[in-house]
Amino acid sequence: MPEAQKPLELILARNLLSSISTPAFLVDAEGTLVFFNEAAGSLVGRRFEETGALGPREWGEAFGPFDAAGDPIPWDQLPLTIALQHGRPMHSRMHIHSSSGDLHDIEVSALPIVGTEGFRGAIAIFWPVGGEDGSAA
Amino acid sequence: MKATVWGARGSVPAPGPETNRYGGNTSCVQVSLEDGSELVLDAGTGIRPLGLAMTGTAERIHILLTHLHMDHIQGLMFFAPLFHPKTDVIIYGPASPEASLTDRIARYISAPLSPVEVRELPCQVSFRDAPDIEWQIGSASVRASSVAHRGPTLGYRITEGDTSLAYIPDHEPALGASLDSLGDEWISGYALAKDVSLLIHDAQYTDAEYPAHMGWGHSRITDTLAFAHRVAAQRLALFHHDPMHDDDMLDGFVTDAAERWRERGCDPAQIAIARERRPLDFARPRAPGASPSSASAPGSAARSPDVTSA
Repeated sequence: MPEAQKPLELILARNLLSSISTPAFLVDAEGTLVFFNEAAGSLVGRRFEETGALGPREWGEAFGPFDAAGDPIPWDQLPLTIALQHGRPMHSRMHIHSSSGDLHDIEVSALPIVGTEGFRGAIAIFWPVGGEDGSAA
Repeated sequence: MKATVWGARGSVPAPGPETNRYGGNTSCVQVSLEDGSELVLDAGTGIRPLGLAMTGTAERIHILLTHLHMDHIQGLMFFAPLFHPKTDVIIYGPASPEASLTDRIARYISAPLSPVEVRELPCQVSFRDAPDIEWQIGSASVRASSVAHRGPTLGYRITEGDTSLAYIPDHEPALGASLDSLGDEWISGYALAKDVSLLIHDAQYTDAEYPAHMGWGHSRITDTLAFAHRVAAQRLALFHHDPMHDDDMLDGFVTDAAERWRERGCDPAQIAIARERRPLDFARPRAPGASPSSASAPGSAARSPDVTSA
């Protein structure tokens, strides 16, 4: 019998994310980016079908989150990493660049996913910030 | 391994002259192993007549509950072996962070819903969370895995020698995503059912009925067939019949399913529909592409007492 089956909690999360227009990432318990939806793909300028799964540090580097001063945010300080490593929600504001070089000002909320058999991974939801008042675009 | 259907109805018992041929009892399948071990899949109202048939024939009975919705536990208190002091009954079910399996079942087997409490049962009964690793029951290995349904829900795979059975009676694997668009590892229940000899699977809704019930945790026939095709099940038994589906409707339902299976390039003899008191066939169909008339023709089979092929 195949052993590669994803945990049900991740399957359901992927089905949800693939059905919504809010940009979102899904990582498994090992920190691998196992899916991002079309809306997130529009934000980062790449489709998941192009990138495939990305390792824990690969996705951090691929989308290069920066702080307000333009300095890279260390991988272990990203909301998704904190949700993964500490099992708690995290929210922050940051900048990312797309594959075309465009800079996006975004807010990120990361939520851990805990199933009946323990920690399964995390979801990060992105919200592009726009307008002079900083309101969500 | 032999499997006999004692209840194939979903949601709520549906007795009456309109459902006499397929039966109105809710989910229950008896699985008898080569070494004499007895397994019972779910404890819907079909377990009541099963219990009457089993009385005195088994010292130990393993009941594998997929989940605790009423149509899967309603018959438990009327299972005769529970009232025999010499019978050892082991009940497996899904774990929940909310309460133990014992406590969750005790909500049903207690006042005001029941005159008898769990602790008053004369038999030796124990409740166990289904292990998350494969375990052995008699001559079979058993595996449980969470599947897409509302609330903690398991599917089971039972393997004895070269024969295997996957039981996923309540399942909505295509919720929010087309099965055709998903990789194997992203399909709920895939590993449980891959290459199985016999897949007993949820087929509650027609395609026309499904939109009004999306998210309720059950499959439309298109998704049932797609799932069976993806996992390469050697046989598929349509299960968990909607209580609104009478015998005549189910005749046409399985005929249509077999035709659509043929359109996928598969042998329609692989498609069956579960009917009470009838065994399910594990044997590999004779040859791909065989004419349905050379097996039991869909529709005509449903009229006849043969449930094992459509």
